[in-house]
Amino acid sequence: MKPLLIGAVAYTPNVVTIWEGIRDYFADTDTPMDFILFSNYGRQVDALIDGTIDIAWNTNLAWVRTVAQTEGHCVALATRDTDTVFQTMFVARAGAGMKDLESLRGRRLALGSKDSAQAAILPVHFLAEAGLADGDVDLLRINSDVGKHGDTGRSELDALRAVLDDQADAAAIGINTWEAIGRDQLMPGAFEVFWQSPTYSHCNFTALDTLTDERVQPWVDRLLAMDWENPVHRPILEMEGLTQWVLPKLEGYKSLFEAVETQGITPRW
Amino acid sequence: MVNAMLVLDLVERAKTVPTGATFTVALSGNEADLTAATATITGWCERTGNELVSATAHEATVRHGRAPDPLAGIDPDQLPGTRLWMYTNFDCNLACDYCCVRSSPQTERRALGVDRVAQLAAEAVEAGVKELILTGGEPFLLPDIDEVVAACATHLPTTLLTNGMLFQGHRLERLRAMDPERVTLQISLDSGTPEVHDSHRGKRSWQRAVNGIRIAHEEGFRVKVAATLPAEQIHELEPFHVFLDSIGIAREDQVIRALAHRGVSESGLELTVETLIPEVTITAEGVYWHPVAADHDDQLVTRQIFPLKNAIDQVRAEFIEYRMRADAAAAWFPCA
Repeated sequence: MKPLLIGAVAYTPNVVTIWEGIRDYFADTDTPMDFILFSNYGRQVDALIDGTIDIAWNTNLAWVRTVAQTEGHCVALATRDTDTVFQTMFVARAGAGMKDLESLRGRRLALGSKDSAQAAILPVHFLAEAGLADGDVDLLRINSDVGKHGDTGRSELDALRAVLDDQADAAAIGINTWEAIGRDQLMPGAFEVFWQSPTYSHCNFTALDTLTDERVQPWVDRLLAMDWENPVHRPILEMEGLTQWVLPKLEGYKSLFEAVETQGITPRW
Repeated sequence: MVNAMLVLDLVERAKTVPTGATFTVALSGNEADLTAATATITGWCERTGNELVSATAHEATVRHGRAPDPLAGIDPDQLPGTRLWMYTNFDCNLACDYCCVRSSPQTERRALGVDRVAQLAAEAVEAGVKELILTGGEPFLLPDIDEVVAACATHLPTTLLTNGMLFQGHRLERLRAMDPERVTLQISLDSGTPEVHDSHRGKRSWQRAVNGIRIAHEEGFRVKVAATLPAEQIHELEPFHVFLDSIGIAREDQVIRALAHRGVSESGLELTVETLIPEVTITAEGVYWHPVAADHDDQLVTRQIFPLKNAIDQVRAEFIEYRMRADAAAAWFPCA
């Protein structure tokens, strides 16, 4: 059978190892696959829509943009367990007296790359939901990895550096970055979380609805069967940051759809 | 707040290299600063599944993820410490021209002795050893070889290497005192006809070894045959295998090993600790990397035989270091 072509964005050298591992996992099955790496999500979504690839490993913003560009003729196939409970953390220097989003009024908030849902788009959305309009908070945007939708995490680290350097009073970062720095336990007295968002959905495998169930369902079934307890599967799962592939939680994208609309974020690129 | 910046640097740098590769972060400050920085890096590594490789006054080297298990690709039977070799003695009734440990009738005995063998066998069980192998010299020259073997076989399956030439009189009685259910004999035989074997081991040695195999079989022992051959002859073995079949040696018990350039041998494979999977070997002088070099200082691991577990751990640790170094060299010269 012709392999399914999966697209992914190369945001770290580990991407090659991860996808070669996943490709090997599907080898010798009825649903072989290969992968193509892109340098940014815009190019990847274009490739999905023009049929160059069958499935895209998309961020939440890339999913929203695919829905917009295809007028909904696309499906989310699977996701990481960690993608269904993603959060944005608002952090400040410990002892800064921040209590909630209202505490940011008149203060400086460092945001990550402008196309990062977790570190830019959704934080602004959460501010608006809290009654903080444009100009109520002084936003410091750090666009250090545009195109990769914040995947590198670099812009979020730069936002934290801005807080340490007193260029900002707080930073909005993804929970994955908060975990990566050891939460507030490795750097006592450095950072504390003063507000954390409701959970929302992040990445998913996206296909156009023209991809037949016959082609895609066996692949999804096989993906969901990857087992954390299997020593061959586990390194791949660890590197990709999950313990189990699961079915997507579509209601978890609602906040991002709203944010993209209200902030006037373009549906393409 | 230096350490907070350090953690951010660690996170950022880790994402730039693939899992298994290393990266560095700069360090500076006085001794207290460096101590604090090292503690921060250690804590971050423990929490995030990375590994602090080294730290100097100027930089820390960190591995992204854990180093791959250097023993992962090794057959479980070859893992260092699975078998324990013991040189019961070094004197021999033969003076083979390729003996890797220079044994001969003139060689000093240098026996381990039954007490140390018994202690080693007992500690071997605790250390996870699965099989004991006794060799020499010629073990049947020892007047208490039956006690030595019994001290081992009580604890673990035991293989006794011999030239098989001495199974008569009181030495035959010592053989009969051994438990064929727990003891395997491995007898040296280099060819299917006398010429090659006798040219290395002495006149009539082939016939006496073949007789020894027959006697061992009659006494109920499983017999393995081990041949030592120059590497260039190892592809011409079928007639030899056919002969061994005819005297009742199972194919899986027909062991062919390449001649090593060790001891009195003037040619053969060059075997070093860097190129040899270790077989922990104990002699009266100490712990050696491999039985093929059991009287060569370049493969002496330690003079401290006891506790055995420490000796095995040391061999294993050195082996891991060699393999990691080799892996690093392979990674460093991908196109060479």
